[in-house]
Amino acid sequence: MIQLKSLLSCIDNSGASVVECVNVLKKKRAATIGDRIVVVVQKQRAAGSEGSGTALANKVRRGDIRHAVVVRVKKELQRPDGSLVRFGDNACVLINKAGDPIGTRMNGVVGQELRNKQWSKILSLAPVHV
Amino acid sequence: MAALPSMRPLGCLRSLIGLQDAVQPQITRRFISTAYSPKPKRVPLPPNLPQQFLSQLPERLQPREDSKRVKVYPAPPSTRKVCKDPIAKVTESQMAIHDPKGERKALFDYRRNPRSVKPGDILRVTFKNGDPFNGVALSIKLRGIDTSVLLRNELTRVAVEMSVKVFSPNVQSVEIVQRAERPARRARLYFMRSRKHDRRSVENLVGAYIRQKRAFLGGNRRK
Repeated sequence: MIQLKSLLSCIDNSGASVVECVNVLKKKRAATIGDRIVVVVQKQRAAGSEGSGTALANKVRRGDIRHAVVVRVKKELQRPDGSLVRFGDNACVLINKAGDPIGTRMNGVVGQELRNKQWSKILSLAPVHV
Repeated sequence: MAALPSMRPLGCLRSLIGLQDAVQPQITRRFISTAYSPKPKRVPLPPNLPQQFLSQLPERLQPREDSKRVKVYPAPPSTRKVCKDPIAKVTESQMAIHDPKGERKALFDYRRNPRSVKPGDILRVTFKNGDPFNGVALSIKLRGIDTSVLLRNELTRVAVEMSVKVFSPNVQSVEIVQRAERPARRARLYFMRSRKHDRRSVENLVGAYIRQKRAFLGGNRRK
């Protein structure tokens, strides 16, 4: 249940670590896995801590307004077969306006609902999906 | 009680008023709702009325013998008599489809079967599409065909909980990786969500189990 002012962790290497939701797109209610939201970067990762080089580090800065896709939610989600999935935190991945991920790597498990919502590019970046 | 007219000349007027008093008060004090006039008797139609005159009367005045009779229909047949407990019947029929041998039911019927899965056990559920999910069983909800087990695990340092419908055709197999060291003293182990009691990741335990299993099976069957 991601809505205005919700804080999410950003699990890609775009440079943001904590972002705040300011809008849920294409929906009149709380966002869940696979939904596109607008976020403000609240906290950025320490530059160069990724270890992948200075070119990649921190593509976004604190205060940037970006689009993002929710990949994990605490609120349980029901699958079509009746099973429920619940994660320990809320997390998202930053994307650009075209819908491509800004980061090149992701660390952390993501929900499988992304597949049904045409985010297979994000799904393929993720190390684990449930 | 009226005084004689000879004593009070104008008393005769009073007697008139008094006469009115005796009649009036009851009328004036009455509410409209209490004013009652009996329903006028229905005037019977003159006998031997020719048939052609009857059609000129309004319908409500036409002589009909069954005009006041309401038709009473017999009650529909009781579905309760046909099927006393439909839920049990549906459960039974669904069980026959999804668990004909009753193995899965025995595996999760932790209240009756001592060898069943119990809360606190580590389970490995394999789905039809090949994905496995491992986790500690926090709760087993025995609800007939809707029986489900809540599994908790930690993947990439993020807690993941999944409630799986045990009799779902998507579930291919359920294995007990490790029994709880001692039986849990409660049925719902939701306290395991707290940081203090969290089991964290069970992936290495499951990995060891799979390796052991593979060695036991002689490596001729993968996974």
